[in-house]
Amino acid sequence: MKRHRKHLHGVTSIDYYACQSGLRQWNGCYKVCAAIVILILCLLLDNPWVSMAVILTMGVVNLRGNGVSFPVYLGLLKIPIAFLLLGGLGVALSISSHPMEPMSISMHWFYLYVTRETLMEALQLFLKAMGAVSALYLLALSTPASELTAVLRSIHMPKLLVELMYMIYRFIFILMDVQQGMKNAAISRLGDADFKTSCTTFGQIGGNLLILSLKKANTYYDAMISRGYEGDFPFWEEKKSVKAWQLVILGLYITVLLLIARITSVIDK
Amino acid sequence: MTKRQRKLFIASIAFAVVFGIIPNANAMHIMEGYLPFGFCVAWGIVSLPFLVKGFFAIQKKLGQDRKNITILAMSGAFIFVISSLKIPSVTGSCSHMTGTALGAILFGPSAVSILGIIVLIFQAVLLAHGGLTTLGANTFSMAIAGPFLSYGVYRLCKKSKINQRVGVFLAAVIGDLFTYCITSFQLAFAYPSEGGVWVSAAKFLSVFAPTQLPLAIIEGFLTVVVMITLENYAQPELKSAGYLENGKR
Repeated sequence: MKRHRKHLHGVTSIDYYACQSGLRQWNGCYKVCAAIVILILCLLLDNPWVSMAVILTMGVVNLRGNGVSFPVYLGLLKIPIAFLLLGGLGVALSISSHPMEPMSISMHWFYLYVTRETLMEALQLFLKAMGAVSALYLLALSTPASELTAVLRSIHMPKLLVELMYMIYRFIFILMDVQQGMKNAAISRLGDADFKTSCTTFGQIGGNLLILSLKKANTYYDAMISRGYEGDFPFWEEKKSVKAWQLVILGLYITVLLLIARITSVIDK
Repeated sequence: MTKRQRKLFIASIAFAVVFGIIPNANAMHIMEGYLPFGFCVAWGIVSLPFLVKGFFAIQKKLGQDRKNITILAMSGAFIFVISSLKIPSVTGSCSHMTGTALGAILFGPSAVSILGIIVLIFQAVLLAHGGLTTLGANTFSMAIAGPFLSYGVYRLCKKSKINQRVGVFLAAVIGDLFTYCITSFQLAFAYPSEGGVWVSAAKFLSVFAPTQLPLAIIEGFLTVVVMITLENYAQPELKSAGYLENGKR
């Protein structure tokens, strides 16, 4: 399959990459389990070397396996940066009533200071979170949300929730389309001329979007009923079996991560 | 440089740092991997009773009329789309609404808790806002605490006969600020500093304040504009969403 290198924006982009991923044919349950195990390992081991290993390997898998181009992947990694920077500041800075070593800033009433320990803690937290985000991308970029919902159904989540998820997932794209149309119409009529106008435009688009979506909801219900809907979505699913070598790879990967954690903790002591 | 010039220069740097480096001031989703494992599980357990209540509320609503299923699903999609839209801002940085207050006022807080957790899952896998391990914490702050308080404020304003638009505005702003406070406390519990949880919470609150305070006020205005549009054009639709039944205007 030819892979497009076009850069897409917003909701459609991750979903798009998930649908054209090279790992699309792998078993959904396997991908969910693998991503969650790696995530939990990242959190529980809390070891900067393990985090770095996860960031690197997941980067390679996402670029090679999931077929995301390097600039796009960098763009995706940028999304959590704002939160991580601000949260990191919160961890790294401490407050004191008198100046502290090695660096403190006077804030008139109190002093903000940074110590080596808090800085290291913030850095370690940054690496841990980036590792976890990379593992999340392994899942997000290889598994479309519909497949994810199928996995939830296979672990017997309440039927009502699964049904709602299926529908919400589909409706998101319909509403995005409608919203894009409204936005284009508004902008081409100078709806974003200044701040006040763009606020009004935003509000009106929001209101109209709700009106349209509720109207559509009725239409869709009629359409579903007339096609025999009885509270079930028996979607056709491809059978994707887990192969032995895939399990071996996952097992090896986990062992290597555990080994890295063990070795580095011995060296640190 | 004169003293005044220097002050201006420093102010402009501060401005650039706040709005330039932070390209994407998300609503307060705690990122994937940011909370220790124990806290992820704990917040999940705290959220559970609310989710169960929400589940039964939705089930009851469907029992009344099966047709409500598409309306609920559309409402969920609506909350997702609203919260993924870039809101207009003076500085050109891009930020998003939380949409929790709007959802709570329109659909009621119990239904929003279930719709909220589904929306948060999709936000994590489709937009990389938030994450799977932090789902419990995010659900509590954005789909439970925020909406319940917004709804409470809205009802209170209505009871005490305050102008409805002011009520909607207050509900949205207070709900947003509450979400932001809860998130800061969640971070503080996980990463207490030397002075304890309160000092740490103060740090997180002040670090996020420059982006969150203006956002809350803008969100309040936008929610009011959306509600005005709805009341002008969509009486029957509002009824089907449960707004008018609950509110009995």
